[in-house]
Amino acid sequence: MPMKGLAGKRVVITGGASGIGAATVERFLEEKARVAVIDFDSAAGRALRQRHPDLAGVVEADVSDPGAVEGAFRELDALLGGVDVTINNAGISIRHDFMDITPAEWRRVMSVDLDGVFYVAQQSARRMLAGAGGVIINMGSTSGMNGYPRYADYDAAKAGVIELTRTMALELAPKIRVVAVCPGYVWTAMQEAEYTPEMKAAVDAKIPMRRHARPEEIAALFAFLASEEAPYITGHPVIIDGGEIAGGLASR
Amino acid sequence: MKLKDRVAIVTGATSGIGAASARLFAEEGARVAVSGRDESRGREVAAAIDAAGGAAVFVRADVRIADDCRRLVAETLRAFGGRLDVLFNNAGVYHPHNAIDCTEEEWDATLDSSLKGAWLMSKYALPTMIAQRGGVIIHQASGWGIQGGDQAVAYCAAKGGVVVMTKAMAIDHGPQGIRVNCLCPGDVDTPMLPEDARARGLNFADYMKGAANRPLGRVGTAEELARAALFLASDDSSFMTGAALVVDGGGIAD
Repeated sequence: MPMKGLAGKRVVITGGASGIGAATVERFLEEKARVAVIDFDSAAGRALRQRHPDLAGVVEADVSDPGAVEGAFRELDALLGGVDVTINNAGISIRHDFMDITPAEWRRVMSVDLDGVFYVAQQSARRMLAGAGGVIINMGSTSGMNGYPRYADYDAAKAGVIELTRTMALELAPKIRVVAVCPGYVWTAMQEAEYTPEMKAAVDAKIPMRRHARPEEIAALFAFLASEEAPYITGHPVIIDGGEIAGGLASR
Repeated sequence: MKLKDRVAIVTGATSGIGAASARLFAEEGARVAVSGRDESRGREVAAAIDAAGGAAVFVRADVRIADDCRRLVAETLRAFGGRLDVLFNNAGVYHPHNAIDCTEEEWDATLDSSLKGAWLMSKYALPTMIAQRGGVIIHQASGWGIQGGDQAVAYCAAKGGVVVMTKAMAIDHGPQGIRVNCLCPGDVDTPMLPEDARARGLNFADYMKGAANRPLGRVGTAEELARAALFLASDDSSFMTGAALVVDGGGIAD
């Protein structure tokens, strides 16, 4: 169902070419927003453009590169003339034991999941402060709140995103609202690549709602938080996990 | 319309966030049981919804009393064709006291309305929701159910209880298709604020200046909290359960 006040908003979505990002692109297009995407995957970006000719544009950039992010925002200035809503969605994860994490892997995860969020948020906030304000939504995760074996780097980065969100909200209020969305398990290609059907079934069984989220359910939360339905929400992580971390392993 | 043909109960709906939520739910297509202790105010809220083209009944109930809760659910089912889709446990009272000053009566009134009442209402609403294979429960918690506040020992205890009860209920009833979440407002412009200022012996203007001291620089409105409740009540939040949605202008981010 449509959310108040999103029509005509200039929305930037990072990692928008696939997964939750692509579902978010679709949602904001349905809301009649003007949507542009930053993604490093040029093939996926081209496919997205073909699927959605009404996109304002797809800019190819790696969010972990501050120079590339700055350049991408200059392109977005030409495409959109400013930014009202930023969905800081791009992220990666690597499934590996803590003892096996190499410095290069650690740096890669931190650079996309935490550094990238910072670069994109700062470029966005600069434009929002100069304009009429805006909303920045950062992709956290229940991984930033609980421990998950084999994702130590990802968990640490997401915990960082949540604290970055709180402090940004304090400094940038009242012109900019800053919120983190913390999904639990979402069924995307990123998840599919790492899980066997047996692993998925085992995960579903421990979630109170007995299933993974659909990407469009996360997109709906982004739409709500970005809209005029949520003008008093800032500075907090919002959990959307089917009840997964309401209890945890100790709950059963 | 986000709640077309759904049936909702809102407790504490005779004023403030409850009244605003009852109105908004009705605008979005729900048939609403408006409940509270004050009959004349409650009838006004229900009549205004009817006058605006919505469907509402007033059911007088004190959520501290089990029989009232049972009757509120039964009368709602009778009025609206046996369905119950949304239960918003909004009723609550507040007495500004520390552990020494809080009387046993105030402690009981606070815990019984916010915590026990939310449990009792859920207890009687859940069987219908489970039989329907779906339903949504929203508890009214508070930012002070997550962090501590001054002169609010019973309130913090009650609201902290609500936040964790929300999680417990989400775990138990998720497999039955029931979502259970809570709202955590900061100070909201409702009749509770002038009452609190008076009880603390503060001038209302000074009190409001203090209350606005948060990142967004103002207190919330009942309408803003109603919008958040609507999100939790609607299919837009279909994967959210066990969550505490903080709507406080950044108050407890600090």
